[in-house]
Amino acid sequence: MSNYLKVVIILLLGSAQPSLALASLRPASPGMSATQIANRAEESLRGDQTVIQAQMTVRSPRLTQPRMIEFTSWDDRLGKRSFTRMEAPAKDKGTGFLKVHPNLWMYIPRVERTVRIPPSMMLQSWMGSDLTNDDLVRESSQTDDYDHRLLGIEDTVKNHPDREAYVVEYIPHEDTPVVWGKIIAWIDTERDVTLRQEFYDEDDVLIRTMQYQEIQPVEKRWVSHLWILTPEQKEGHETQVRIKRIEFDAEIDDTVFTKRNLKKGLR
Amino acid sequence: MNSLEFRLAWRSLGRNPRRTGLTLAATSFAMMLVVNMTGLSNGSHEEMVENGVRMASGHLSLMAPDHLEERTLEQPLAWTQSLRTHLESVPDIKGFAPRMDAFALVSHEESAQGMLIRGSDPTRENTVSEIEDRLTTGRFLRQGESREIVLGQKGAQTLGVELGDQVLLYGMAYSLESAYELFTVVGLVRFPDAELERTLAFISLEDAQAFFVYADRVTEVAILAEDSYQVEDLQNRLTQTLSNGDLRVHTWQEVVPELDQIIAIDKGGMYLILLLLTVVVGFGILNTILMAVLERKREFGILLALGLKPSKIFKVVYLESLLLAGVGIVIGLAISIPMVLYLQAHPIPITGNAAEGISQLNIEVSITSKFRASNPIRSTLIMMGVAVVAAFYPALKASRGQPIDVVQNA
Repeated sequence: MSNYLKVVIILLLGSAQPSLALASLRPASPGMSATQIANRAEESLRGDQTVIQAQMTVRSPRLTQPRMIEFTSWDDRLGKRSFTRMEAPAKDKGTGFLKVHPNLWMYIPRVERTVRIPPSMMLQSWMGSDLTNDDLVRESSQTDDYDHRLLGIEDTVKNHPDREAYVVEYIPHEDTPVVWGKIIAWIDTERDVTLRQEFYDEDDVLIRTMQYQEIQPVEKRWVSHLWILTPEQKEGHETQVRIKRIEFDAEIDDTVFTKRNLKKGLR
Repeated sequence: MNSLEFRLAWRSLGRNPRRTGLTLAATSFAMMLVVNMTGLSNGSHEEMVENGVRMASGHLSLMAPDHLEERTLEQPLAWTQSLRTHLESVPDIKGFAPRMDAFALVSHEESAQGMLIRGSDPTRENTVSEIEDRLTTGRFLRQGESREIVLGQKGAQTLGVELGDQVLLYGMAYSLESAYELFTVVGLVRFPDAELERTLAFISLEDAQAFFVYADRVTEVAILAEDSYQVEDLQNRLTQTLSNGDLRVHTWQEVVPELDQIIAIDKGGMYLILLLLTVVVGFGILNTILMAVLERKREFGILLALGLKPSKIFKVVYLESLLLAGVGIVIGLAISIPMVLYLQAHPIPITGNAAEGISQLNIEVSITSKFRASNPIRSTLIMMGVAVVAAFYPALKASRGQPIDVVQNA
């Protein structure tokens, strides 16, 4: 095939893709702004203080069996701090991650060492999964660090055919050190819960997709209990996060977010 | 060779020693220039290649298919005894070193730095990278010792560690498990490239394979050829004997194309200068012979009057020029080859600001020459070519004289 032909085909495919994906998109009625929708979605995912206990399953061509990881995470949104403690596998049991903006520390009980993870490592895999350190600490806030644009309403979402969703484009502010070129999110029009996110790089190439499944009500919120992350360019890779327990508006003691707590290992 | 013409040519060269001497000097000096320029350029390029490839992947690099493009642990190369034995048996291989490269976070107290961890065989690494020569303190890794690490001087500075300190390596194993281990700093090295010095660390291949869960596998094998001119030949031989589908032999040009490009640009510049030099030399020879011919108008006129054919005169003058060029070339070679050999044996190091600028390309520099048989041969051919072209017009001019005019005007 000639290069010229290739270019033409790539251009055609490239321009066709968004219109295919958003085939059933219709304009949203005025009333809610994109930022309001984004705020509500964020609110439905994170309370001011949230505790999550979760199990993570990592699939990769490298592995004959999926790798299972369990952890509990304490998140103080307003204080911009969080704490995560590994509970499984045995090798990582007690390993902790403490984020107090803008620092991220990790403590490894087996060698009794605390490591400050530099910003350059934010895009590295977290615990061998397809999640990054950045995902763990949510260093970038999807409401504060992005501009939001409402693309329209879709009657049916790929992974939730029976739900209607706002399609919101998140574009990072120029001065924020954000890792994505843009994020497109499908946010349930009635339930405010995010159903699907597509993460693109600066060149508008789809890097990964997060699908939020098993949506059930928890404390007046609709909450996804199964997150499925699929990186686009890594065939055979998939990370699932199953939420075993989630507590919004928990009262988390300040001592949780300290280096002393980090070094305690498992409680 | 017709003896009459040759004798005539030889005698007339001897008849005016000053003129002959000047032309000879010009030719041999030009020859010296060409030979030395080529030698210097060969020297600097080969030094660039040597230094560049030693720290990179050697002259040749064995990798699993696709590893050159992907550069992840997903393309392992089996490091077997038979492969090792084979490499040991191939002539023209100066050294080879298996390597297992992967990223990890190296930390000490509050500081941490992402680094490229190079798992290398302590007994073999030096045969390719001459890492021992780069040590500033301590020693390189030792066979039989484990959990030792050698850092770049700048890397150690960033971490705030000294010899004997422990650093924590944290990374992701091939099995996707988290990998962490304490290593003791046993040596510090300097690299010409500051970035490399900050972000490259050496641990033993065994440790790396255990740390990253990569037993019996490596990411590449770096090979240093005895002579950089044999690289392609060696590549062909290795490809023929080793290719069994799961291994590729890459040249340094494929692995570090930047270096190749720098050299190509530099070579282009040298060829341009050589071309200009050749033109200048050509005109010099043309000028000298032309003047000599014009001076001898009367002589040629008489020869013609005596019945010598114009074509013979043409031959005589042409022969003179070629003889001059030939002798000049021999003298030039006799002087310049020892010069090239001397600079090859005694390079002049470049220091100060100039070195600073160049060393960013991860190349250590000195003014050095390299003698290659192709150099005098090519230079001789160039100079002979120039003489053949430049002598044509004066020879023609000499043979075209009219005896009657010449004798009358004289």
